[in-house]
Amino acid sequence: MARLSPLEASERRLGYLMLAPAVILLLVTALYPIAALIRESFSHNVLTEPWMAKPWVGLDNFAKAMGDPRFWEASANTLLYVIVTVPGAVAMGLGLALLANQPFRIKWPVRLGLLLPWALPLVFAGLIFRWFFEFQQGLVNNALLFVGLSPVNWLTRETPAFIAICIAIIWKTSSFAALVLLAGLQTIPKSLYEAAEVDGASKWRQFLEITLPMLMPAIFVALIFRTITAIQTFDIPKAMTDGGPGKSNETLAMYIHSTTIDALDFGYGSTLAVLMFVLSAVLTSFYLRHTRRDPSGGRH
Amino acid sequence: MATGAFPSPRKMTLIAGAIVAINGFFPAVWILFTSLKTESELMRLPITIWPHAPTLANYSRVFTDQPIFTFMWNSVVVATLSTLLCVTVSALAAYALVRLRLPKPNLILSALLAVAMFPLISLMVPLFTVMRDLNLLNTWWALVFPYAVLSMPVCTLVLMSFFQDIPRDLENAAMIDGCTRTGALWHVVLPLTAPGVFTAGILAFVNAWDEFLLALTLSPRVLSRTLPVGITLYQGEFSFPWPIISAALIVAIVPICIIIAVFQERVVGGLTSGGMKG
Repeated sequence: MARLSPLEASERRLGYLMLAPAVILLLVTALYPIAALIRESFSHNVLTEPWMAKPWVGLDNFAKAMGDPRFWEASANTLLYVIVTVPGAVAMGLGLALLANQPFRIKWPVRLGLLLPWALPLVFAGLIFRWFFEFQQGLVNNALLFVGLSPVNWLTRETPAFIAICIAIIWKTSSFAALVLLAGLQTIPKSLYEAAEVDGASKWRQFLEITLPMLMPAIFVALIFRTITAIQTFDIPKAMTDGGPGKSNETLAMYIHSTTIDALDFGYGSTLAVLMFVLSAVLTSFYLRHTRRDPSGGRH
Repeated sequence: MATGAFPSPRKMTLIAGAIVAINGFFPAVWILFTSLKTESELMRLPITIWPHAPTLANYSRVFTDQPIFTFMWNSVVVATLSTLLCVTVSALAAYALVRLRLPKPNLILSALLAVAMFPLISLMVPLFTVMRDLNLLNTWWALVFPYAVLSMPVCTLVLMSFFQDIPRDLENAAMIDGCTRTGALWHVVLPLTAPGVFTAGILAFVNAWDEFLLALTLSPRVLSRTLPVGITLYQGEFSFPWPIISAALIVAIVPICIIIAVFQERVVGGLTSGGMKG
């Protein structure tokens, strides 16, 4: 390795100095809690049993989770939300991006139409859609009645509740996907379409042969961001049905929350949180394997 | 080309724009209508669309039923402080990674992002313990630090792409003219990255403003609630007073609307330039 010149060495020192605040913040607010979480997941720690001295119980909590039907149902529900809402939100985002990618003379209504759902807290979206799906006064059932269909008990039956929650999630999260995809659309050179036009390619062919392939990197970014947040689904089902009816639509995040904050079982809650991290690591590494093929992303 | 079945391109453009705008605004508009209706009008079937006898009574209930201004103030303080912290820390790290010849910058970046992307819900349990032991539950600080970490990945990526766009020669010229490295950073680079810093700031602010789970967990006292959690307090144990909840939602949505209306170009432009190169 070549020796650094004095200038380079001083730059490197400054570099470490500038990196330090980020590292300290992560150490205190992320790395230490992660370590504490993992230690806790191997211990018995229920706050309502203060006489117990948080004994180390090895893999007991993990064994408990493996035999816990509520854990499996919450995991299955979480995966279902991922499977439905990730492609759903990206597809709807693509639709919105294509609609928004036009030479509008007045830009703000479209821009704000994309930004408002993005900036809206998830809980607000959950509450608004709960109101939409209300049995008697809800807009959806009244619209169904208006066209001669019978109303649906959206929020009190398992499958309709799942559908309603998914619609709310897709509406709320598609706008971020749309913003990312719109950015991607605007990097595609116009000349490609002009050339295709000259060759007599139809709009549909242009979409399949130019837009979609050129948009792949942006679609990928939208998919990975949406997946990371979908695994953590909490706010919208919490606001709409509180995981109900019963616990039928409960997600892993909701189960962790109720185990720790309501039942005060910090040991088992930590174990569930570790398992959730494993789930999200598996799903995201599946995506990252794809990016590795990109030469610039490789190691040197 | 006369294809009678299709509207003209100009009309198509208008329709496309209208779909996007209506999709975005409709839920908020419907809530606005609901908030202006009386309880008895809301009970009527079939439902009405326009409020027949618009009333502001629901809005006065919003302010008397819960301390909504306190919720809002908590949200403003927490979001502002965490944004300042996040942008400062991310900007320093981004600049060091882009410019300062650190060994294996890609590896450092991946490590930073991996830690910061650990699911917030998994961190909820240990953070609760840490904040309780530090006696920080129900304080702004319990939320400020985690929220800064929450937005660090996206802010660092956005800022790195902005720093990459600044020509190295500009700094070198300033340094040849006798500026120190930090001087060049302060006088030359920072003014040029103002748009990037701004964009990162808005992203961090919105993330913090919207967060629910940690706010629910780390601030159990009513007067420490932030807006997203505070809004859920309007529902009774067995009742759901929709006109009042709607009015509360409108009050809470107004600040968001102002922020995105003022900064719309920055946000869209920032996501365009920052999000894609990362």
